[in-house]
Amino acid sequence: MRILGSSELCEDVQKKDLCVDCGACAGLCPYFVSHKGKIARLFPCTLPQGRCHAFCPKTEIDLNHVSETIVGKSYDGSPLGHMRAIWKTRAGRLMQGKGAFQNGGTASSLLVAAMASGLIDAAALTRRKGLIPEPFLATSTDQILSCAGSKYMASPTLASVHEYSREKGQKLAVVGTPCQMTALGLIRMNPLGREDFHDPVALSMGLFCTWALDTRRLIRLIENRVNLQDIQSMDVPPPPSQVMTIRTCDQNLAIPLDEIRTAIPAGCSICPDMTAEFTDLSVGALEGDPSWNTLIVRTEKGESLVEEAVRQGYLERDAMRPEHLEHLRKGASAKKKRAFIMARDKHLLNTDPAKGPSALIIKEDLVKKLLGEEGSCLH
Amino acid sequence: MGNEAIARGALEAGVRVVAGYPGTPASEIIENLAKIAKEGSRKLYVEWSVNEKVALEVASAASFAGLPTMAVMKQPGLNVAADYLLHLSGSGVRGPMVLVSADDPGALSSVNEGETRYYAKLMEIPLLEPGDFQEAKDMTTWAFKLSDTIKNVVLLRTVTRLSHASGTVVLGEIPENGSNAFFKHDGFILDPNEGAILSPPVEYKHTEQQRKLKIAEALFEDSPFNTYTGPEKPELLIITSSICSLYSKEAVSILGVRDRVGILKLGTTWPLPPKRLLKHLSSCDHIFIVEEVLPFLEDEVKILAAEHGKTLGAKFFYGKKEGYLPMVGEMNPDKVAAALSRILAMPQPGMDDVYKKRATEISFAGSPHREATFCPGCPHRASFWTLNTALSMDNRNGFVCGDIGCYSMAVLPAGFSTLKTLHAMGSGTGVASGFGKLGGFGMSQPVLSVCGDSTFFHSAIPPLVNAIHHHSNMTLVVLDNSGTAMTGFQPHPGLEKDAMGNVAEKIDIPEVCRALGAEVRVCDPFDVSESRQVLLDLMDRDGVKVLVLKQSCALSPEKKSLKKYTMSVDQSLCAGENCGCNRLCTRIFACPGLIWDKENNRSRIDEVVCAGCGVCSSICPKGAIMKKEAV
Repeated sequence: MRILGSSELCEDVQKKDLCVDCGACAGLCPYFVSHKGKIARLFPCTLPQGRCHAFCPKTEIDLNHVSETIVGKSYDGSPLGHMRAIWKTRAGRLMQGKGAFQNGGTASSLLVAAMASGLIDAAALTRRKGLIPEPFLATSTDQILSCAGSKYMASPTLASVHEYSREKGQKLAVVGTPCQMTALGLIRMNPLGREDFHDPVALSMGLFCTWALDTRRLIRLIENRVNLQDIQSMDVPPPPSQVMTIRTCDQNLAIPLDEIRTAIPAGCSICPDMTAEFTDLSVGALEGDPSWNTLIVRTEKGESLVEEAVRQGYLERDAMRPEHLEHLRKGASAKKKRAFIMARDKHLLNTDPAKGPSALIIKEDLVKKLLGEEGSCLH
Repeated sequence: MGNEAIARGALEAGVRVVAGYPGTPASEIIENLAKIAKEGSRKLYVEWSVNEKVALEVASAASFAGLPTMAVMKQPGLNVAADYLLHLSGSGVRGPMVLVSADDPGALSSVNEGETRYYAKLMEIPLLEPGDFQEAKDMTTWAFKLSDTIKNVVLLRTVTRLSHASGTVVLGEIPENGSNAFFKHDGFILDPNEGAILSPPVEYKHTEQQRKLKIAEALFEDSPFNTYTGPEKPELLIITSSICSLYSKEAVSILGVRDRVGILKLGTTWPLPPKRLLKHLSSCDHIFIVEEVLPFLEDEVKILAAEHGKTLGAKFFYGKKEGYLPMVGEMNPDKVAAALSRILAMPQPGMDDVYKKRATEISFAGSPHREATFCPGCPHRASFWTLNTALSMDNRNGFVCGDIGCYSMAVLPAGFSTLKTLHAMGSGTGVASGFGKLGGFGMSQPVLSVCGDSTFFHSAIPPLVNAIHHHSNMTLVVLDNSGTAMTGFQPHPGLEKDAMGNVAEKIDIPEVCRALGAEVRVCDPFDVSESRQVLLDLMDRDGVKVLVLKQSCALSPEKKSLKKYTMSVDQSLCAGENCGCNRLCTRIFACPGLIWDKENNRSRIDEVVCAGCGVCSSICPKGAIMKKEAV
């Protein structure tokens, strides 16, 4: 995994539309900021190496390295990543009706439980301001609940992680998309070996994601159809639905997914991770029932929080139907395969450093196994 | 100083009204006359007009009312006044009127090295060029006499090395106050002294204009301002004018060829006195013409020689067209001497080659790296910090159309290379008005322009009107630092004082823009975060927006040497090269008041240079730059 500088970051990621505005590079220094969904480098920085490049989930990610550090196991290409358990869950009796939950309210409930137990003192979340999501460092139950609801657009949440780190705290929860959780993994690995580094994360919670939307492109798509300031929630109902629904106080807009997909950044097309594999826990929708979630437990820490939350009444839990699990596996596997093929075609998979940058690095035998082909695809 | 001599010359001619616009190297002429006017000892009205066209109009009005008057500007200002000059030279004047235009060969203080001299030919008015400091005074006084004789405006051309250099001048008498102003207009319409003043009927007036020029030509034949020094039959004849005559003298002296080379210095350079020229052209077959910048004199001499070719015979010309002198840049004795030694096939006593090589090396490698930059405490540095970061954050490839003033330097790293076009006064907004209409051709880049407060009144209002009327999408950022700063802090209509220090009507820039129909906001550029927020908000919308960034120039009288804050860099908070900020303060922001202390690996403040504006404290990521209110 090579670590380069801001100029390479701009060349290899921003200029190639691979940036997904995860925020890992923002808020570290005066040069990178995120504004309205897009990362800008304000001035030329000449440093040959920087955390901006090191943390970016689209530059030279050695997936095995991240997996071993965060989850403690090697990257084996399994569709859903390493799981200790998988459940269907929803807000327990203590949390029923407490927030504008997208589906089951699992993420919010677990966060409230974590804060109540003292496991965390803050959570790096995302809240919505009209259409545009913005990072928010929540430090109370009310604040956590105010961030409930899916956003479908990247928000530079990880900038909040840097903000929290500056105060030297070590009880942060982070909720984010797979790309953000991968970047968080890189941050926690301290790739530049800085002596002043302390891991701020006490709990990492990923969200299932097939794709996210570029904020500015989405605005251009819908600004003539709806008042952006009034948007209260967005949803992509499960198939056979082929629309995205956008709700304001007096409007319920449905936009065909074909149109919506034009706003997906290229960075999403090379993302092999549907369930946020490098986390303590991952949360997503449950097939067929919008009032529940799917919850994947990956680490001991995640497991003990879930047990405690269920025991105290923050969370309700039940077994997941095997066919739902199978469908989830299939979907995740398809995304993984699509991503690796796309990365290979764009010469971003295991690229020879002499020839250019890599976005993703995995073991060669894994490439063959995942893409189901013989013959090396080393470029 | 040359400019003082010109001012004195005008006074000795009894000038009553003088108008102009600040512009290097002309500004001191009006400044000196304004001082006299302020004293009150003589009846004199001196005005810094809103632009050069209006200055010429104001001065000519006084002439129409029978007073001796003068208009002063730098060469590009003459371009601005040119439309009026065309019509004025056609209508003629009444009281004697002199137009002084100052060129800047080599563009020492300009973004061009335009030529005044061709205007004389184009507008068909006489041209005078003083060759030294005594002539600067004497020829100015004589210019008024000439104007009085022919009843048309006379053009006097000066250059930087004459205007800004100094020499000994013998003074003359200043006459007592003259007649009252009265504009007689009820006589016969075609009567030049009593009727209406206008350039039509054109053929008739044009014929009159050319007749006046012929009178001047005849007077030029015996002018004492055309001088010849050298042998009666020189081997080589130098024909020169203006300060180039001194360079020529020096070159001839350096090469020691005074007995071989004659110098004909012309002070009356349009129209050329043919008899005088022919006399000298007959004395020599080899003609070397020394002038700056373009071959104006060279062309006219060649035309004259061609017209009289039968009697003169063939001449050998050594000029710019033949490659003996460059057609760009300032002239100097070295260039003339090099050409002379080539023409005369003699070795030039120049620098020793080894010495020359060493001197060149040292001057590049040994001298400290100094870039052109804004003063410490300059509001422009803060303004462009805001403009540049806002455009980067906006991330749609937006850009700024530049204009003329200190802020023109924002094409350089001093202003974070923010300006992407730079032309003439007021042009930034005109160009932006055009860019702002290209949305229909698929352009989605935000368009901005900048102008100073003085430039706003000079020529940015018409293009602003244009943009508003045509629904152009652009943002004008007015950098209001309360004065015409670049040229020496002269007043303008946005301020309460005029050139002579009297109370004047202050015109409010935001009000004007609002009245025109723009969306207007006003911010203090020193409040970087607020300014950026407002600008980002404005850039998001269609139509014409105006952001006025108001903060006095660091060199303005009320601010100079008064520090608002005492600045310091906390050496325990500054992490130097270990910060990871890649020396944002000294490498990018780069105010001269911030020093990079290499030995200690820290930044620190140079207390002597720092102006105490406090802006740098908001850019340090570690908060290491401290500001404390100065007592």
